Amino acid sequence: MKHLLFALAAVTLACCQASAGRAQALTGSVTSVEEGAMEGVLVSAQQTGSPITITVVSEELGRFRFPDGRLAPGHYALRIRAIGYALDGPQAVELGAAATDITLKLRKTSDLAAQLTNCEWFMSMPGTPEQKRPLIECMSCHTFERIVRSTYDAEAFFPVLKRMAQYANNTTQARVQSRRAEREVHDDLVRKLAAYLATVNLSSGPNWPYELQTLPRPKGRATHVVITEYDLPRQAIAPHDVRTDAQGHVWYSNFVENFLGELDPKTGAHREHAIPVQKPGSPTGALDLEADGDGNLWLAMMFQTGVARFDMATKTFQMFPIQSALDNDAAQQSMVMPRASSVDGKVWSNEVAKQSILRLDLKTGTYELIDPFKFLPKGRQHAPYGMAADRENNLYFMDFADENIGRIDAKTGVTTIYPTPTPKSRPRRTMLDDRGRLWFTEFAANKLGLFDTKTESFKEWDVPTPHTYPYDVFMDKNDELWSGGMASDRVLRFDPQSGQSIEYLLPRPTNIRRVFVDNSTNPVTFWAGNNHGAEILRVEPLD
Amino acid sequence: MTFDRVWLRVVLVAACIGAVPTLSRAGGVGFGEDDANSGDDGPSYFGFVREVDGPGVADAKVTAALKDRGALVTRTDIMGVYKIPGFGKDINPDDVAITCAKDGYAQASVQRRPRDPSDTKDPVEVECYLKRK
Repeated sequence: MKHLLFALAAVTLACCQASAGRAQALTGSVTSVEEGAMEGVLVSAQQTGSPITITVVSEELGRFRFPDGRLAPGHYALRIRAIGYALDGPQAVELGAAATDITLKLRKTSDLAAQLTNCEWFMSMPGTPEQKRPLIECMSCHTFERIVRSTYDAEAFFPVLKRMAQYANNTTQARVQSRRAEREVHDDLVRKLAAYLATVNLSSGPNWPYELQTLPRPKGRATHVVITEYDLPRQAIAPHDVRTDAQGHVWYSNFVENFLGELDPKTGAHREHAIPVQKPGSPTGALDLEADGDGNLWLAMMFQTGVARFDMATKTFQMFPIQSALDNDAAQQSMVMPRASSVDGKVWSNEVAKQSILRLDLKTGTYELIDPFKFLPKGRQHAPYGMAADRENNLYFMDFADENIGRIDAKTGVTTIYPTPTPKSRPRRTMLDDRGRLWFTEFAANKLGLFDTKTESFKEWDVPTPHTYPYDVFMDKNDELWSGGMASDRVLRFDPQSGQSIEYLLPRPTNIRRVFVDNSTNPVTFWAGNNHGAEILRVEPLD
Repeated sequence: MTFDRVWLRVVLVAACIGAVPTLSRAGGVGFGEDDANSGDDGPSYFGFVREVDGPGVADAKVTAALKDRGALVTRTDIMGVYKIPGFGKDINPDDVAITCAKDGYAQASVQRRPRDPSDTKDPVEVECYLKRK
């Protein structure tokens, strides 16, 4: 009922906006005593009662301009993002039929730490790369601010870390979910991490024993962008994978609840499609969201196990649970790959707990368990993760726990493993473009990668900002890459030909997982979810 | 064995041994890297891809294949050197076929250096020769 009311409110607001007409442009300038006119300040406007916030960025002379027709007449709350600064005023603006020009005054913030991204904490914290490396797991559930503001010493940290290890991957601060099957934890590693964290938090005094480092504000082309945030109606909604359909609707998987979300970006209207609960008492939520050749959506159901198919015409789900022989409390399907299922009636998935691949036979509804690492040394951790299928439904998968890309031949079942040039790269999500190029992120190596399936060769590019830890990448129609992650609150646009990059700073702390580019617009439009922030994000570059 | 070959073998064996902790990750929660060798590693494979009677061939594809089961694939570096971390210890190195390929070339021959079969960790040196088409 609450969701329905929210949707109605959004539609009503959109209708009112339409009937009231659009306001003239909102323009202005940003200044501070310290810098005068300020470039690279994000200025956000949200109309009272609206779930939509629009953000633009001040250009070289400190001027900003909201696109004509985007803001309806009404009362708007204003906010800014500029590292080291807070908005002194005005905090709001009334827009009417006439053009409005405002001057935003910024003052130095009294709490710089509250503005740091995970990436900036990584930069600031002393320690070796080996000491910091385990922290890249923490970002899945919370920001580093939670860690560095704590006052635990090493002894007190130990049980906290042990407890957290028993939470499901699909846990957020708004919805903590415990695993049903206990995970093995190596106490010596936990103690090592606890000892390190106690050196970077507030356990030894009221201030951090190191200087806080910050990244520069956006400049030049990085300011030529419009960002739209769509607030979702509950804080617990954790959009993970986001994609658009042919009608321009945005669909997302909810990482912690059994809903498939749908958003109409024109109106902000939001709908949720309830996914049947398969395993009561197990963590809820889905991860991978993919489309098959007919445009129907598929979800990997995580600890609910199996995969789900959503029929776009009837808006109903067909569930494909894993058979009992494969099922247990640890069973987890994080990925699904139905794209070429029409070729052989098979859909790919994974079984995280068994470090294996699953292949679903759509006729029988049974899954085949495939261990792609069976001929590699035992005892080494692997994790089939991001998946792509070619036209023959051969599978390419990322070995997220290690450093490999794998290929399984759909006909023979033969597995080929391709170690990435960078060791310990931890390839994460991937996409296969029309030219047989597999684009992927190297999460731990802070790189974007290309595996050419025709030549079976790799290329790698460093992500420009250290400690970005890219989660996913998308190649657009202009041969530019788009990427995001959980650390930097930035969307990366990267030209692999020239090596040129642009990083668009986002208005809020943003935990990005799957990224998606809508190639039907000019310029292209980037979409992602804010997994911890209950919002859908649209980034429209102006060039 | 020429001095060059001895030198290459020493360097590559050292490199492979150095790579073992990097490539070995035990199970459990990822609160840090557990670099302990699982003890389950079979021998690694290394060597040159060369033109017949010629220099090393850079960026050649090298495949270590187990018939009908699977393969590990890598490429040579600028000197034509490759190394493949290897399979599990239950895989008999004699069942592993090393092949090489590059556009414009055909594989001419593969030469496997003798090794001590009782030393399961002793890296397997295989030279692969290409000839221009």
